[in-house]
Amino acid sequence: MLSFLIKRLLGMIPVVLMVMVAVFAFVHMLPGDPARLVAGPEATAQDVAAVRSALGLDKPLPQQFLTYVNNTIHGDFGLSLKTRRPVVEEIGMRLMPTVWLTLFAMIWSVAIGLLIGVVSAVKRGRWPDYGGMILAVSGISFPPFWLGLLLINLFSVRLGWLPTGGYGTWQHFLMPSFTLGLGVAAVMARFTRSAFIEIAREDYVRTARAKGVPERSVIWRHSLRNALIPIITMVGLQFGFLLGGSIVIESVFAWPGVGRLLVDSVSYRDYPVIQALVLMFSLQFIFINLLVDILYVFANPEIRYQ
Amino acid sequence: MTLKSLLLSSALGVAMLVPGLASAKDLTVAIQNNLTGLDPTNVNDTLSQTSLRLIYQGLFGFDKDMKLVPLLAESYESNADATEFTIKLREGVKFHDGTDFNAEAVKINLDRLRNPDNNLSRRSLVSMINMVEVVDDLTVRLVLDAPFGAMIASLAHPGAMIISPAALEKYGDEINRHPVGTGAFVFDNWAADTLTVTRNDDYWKGPAKVDRVVIRSVPESGARMAMLQTGEAQFVPNFPPELMQVIEKNPDLKVDISPSIVEYYVAMNNNKEPFGNQKVRQALNHAVDKDAFCQIVFSGLCSPADSIIPKDLSFHVTAGEYEFDLERARELMAEAGYADGFETEIWANSNTESLRAMQFLQQQLAQINVDVNVVPLEAGVAAQRIWSIESAEDAEVQMYYGGWSSSTGDADWGIRPLLLGENAPPSMFNVAYYADEELDAAITGAIGTADPTERAKYYETAQKLAWDGAPWIFLGVADLVAAQTADVTGVHMLPDRGFLLEDAAFTE
Repeated sequence: MLSFLIKRLLGMIPVVLMVMVAVFAFVHMLPGDPARLVAGPEATAQDVAAVRSALGLDKPLPQQFLTYVNNTIHGDFGLSLKTRRPVVEEIGMRLMPTVWLTLFAMIWSVAIGLLIGVVSAVKRGRWPDYGGMILAVSGISFPPFWLGLLLINLFSVRLGWLPTGGYGTWQHFLMPSFTLGLGVAAVMARFTRSAFIEIAREDYVRTARAKGVPERSVIWRHSLRNALIPIITMVGLQFGFLLGGSIVIESVFAWPGVGRLLVDSVSYRDYPVIQALVLMFSLQFIFINLLVDILYVFANPEIRYQ
Repeated sequence: MTLKSLLLSSALGVAMLVPGLASAKDLTVAIQNNLTGLDPTNVNDTLSQTSLRLIYQGLFGFDKDMKLVPLLAESYESNADATEFTIKLREGVKFHDGTDFNAEAVKINLDRLRNPDNNLSRRSLVSMINMVEVVDDLTVRLVLDAPFGAMIASLAHPGAMIISPAALEKYGDEINRHPVGTGAFVFDNWAADTLTVTRNDDYWKGPAKVDRVVIRSVPESGARMAMLQTGEAQFVPNFPPELMQVIEKNPDLKVDISPSIVEYYVAMNNNKEPFGNQKVRQALNHAVDKDAFCQIVFSGLCSPADSIIPKDLSFHVTAGEYEFDLERARELMAEAGYADGFETEIWANSNTESLRAMQFLQQQLAQINVDVNVVPLEAGVAAQRIWSIESAEDAEVQMYYGGWSSSTGDADWGIRPLLLGENAPPSMFNVAYYADEELDAAITGAIGTADPTERAKYYETAQKLAWDGAPWIFLGVADLVAAQTADVTGVHMLPDRGFLLEDAAFTE
């Protein structure tokens, strides 16, 4: 296990380097002049030129790239072009809100998704199955933007129970995490259902039933446990996507997270922030994959890593 | 199960008071974008500039109607050709850190702003100053390189607000995160999307009536409205007109509609055929129904333009009217040799409002056989293709739809950057590439004097010439819509889309 971990960690280095090259190239290929955007709508040509040289954007591209790699290795991600705050601080302020939001959303989605999925699979072809799947399909097709506003209108404006948005106490988490989790819950339900049905056809399940193992135990011990492997993979992938992809939710609920930061930074051509964020999202995916691999072992001890 | 658990957990929330709600003496303002910085001399967006008015003040400023008023200055005098300005300062003002406000502080600030090495984005406001002289403790004299009649208006721009010299010394570039001014509120905290300031008890005009002001960025307009309805926010500037009906039904809320100084127009590239032809440009002006423009693009919250600058800008005169007259438009097109029309394209930013405007114009101009292709441009692309071109010959723009507001509240910044011949991109914003010698003479004449009557004469000429020359399709001046809770007084929209919160108070 340890040597597996070390190998996986070392293997990340070339991946990270490739990501850095790709991100740098991608960001500089975006049409638009960041100096012009930073200098603002009323800036004169001289102002723009001054901003450009202050930001080092007048230097040749290879030189800018070397500076970028060198700084990144030393943990220096530079200053945001937009706010002139250090990028690390800019992301730092918004990272935890997004991580927490994602975690809570995952809890909603796993709880709801697993339950609906298992129930649908067990009661296959009967009304709980149809009901569950109708819910799941609506969950996938519900625009989160609309659902968010609907919840705000109900729980904040009409009932006055929850704050409309922002970040702080547990009340702030309920609506955004639920809205975010619901879409994933739907995916999770469908996924669990098919994984479960697949497993139910396996010989060992039939054997267990034939031996007279109670149905409850067949479902929860024999089937669910094995169905968990693809489900964990799914959770891992969804988690990665959610971390960077909760942009709509973050806008609707005025959530100070990294999704909104990324959108703002792209429209502003805030190169240092975009580069740091994309690098961070790539690392997240790599780590989540690693975590998923480790979780497999706990779900099914038959799996051993060499 | 989901609904049940949601209701259950929500019900628990009732037991505790929801902490997102501010206490009675805190004013929360919900704005649409994040602030970009806290150094007034180095931010460019109206929201940041206007938020910083809580903390900072300039020598001059604006009242709620955007009329120039002295703030840290008491009075000024200038010589006849507007090259020397002597400014008397207010006595007994202190910065939040206890530093005295005096002539030396003004000199340090203006010298810092105009020094090209500092790369401050608002340098152009004071770049014409050649020397700042401390006459005595409460008097400064500005000596200019060349006549500039709009000097005082430039000093009233938020970009020229005065920062504590001690703080500048202490924080250097970090002043962007540690603002220290003379305003009614003291900086408290600037987090990811929230600026918090607390009352300055030693404020020279007397302490404000609210304890704290919180400026929060809430991008979604529906969410901003919900905050207003729940009392989480008390003021929402720049409210989307389509949500107005909801507010009007609620007795706890009120809407404030006021005219802006944001004028919308279509610049036609005079270097490109057929826009070099004045008759074509006039024909296009006659072909667009400006009342319909206001209805369709701004839900009626707009008035047709009657000059190159809006009514509420200083020195405005009514320059004329291009009444909606398709017959006249067709005649002019025929006279210009374009009876069969032509094909062209219109560019603008890709937001919903601009798209609607472009489609409207497309439909209107089709009536005189002008076939318009609508090209929305994302902000970065627009910056590149319109404003950052190498030279005027490279310009591909044919028609450009946009809006402009003069942030100095003066006619100068409403006209010179947009219509002076030498100010075509990339140097400034004359995207019509309009160059008319008489107009140029009037514009430069107006900044050659500080005498308001003289300037008024020049600007009257300028407006009439530009109207007749028709470098633009003149469209309309948008209204501002702000929403607030009924228990708040003293919050005002400024005509340039900024706001003033200094007098905010809660009625009991």
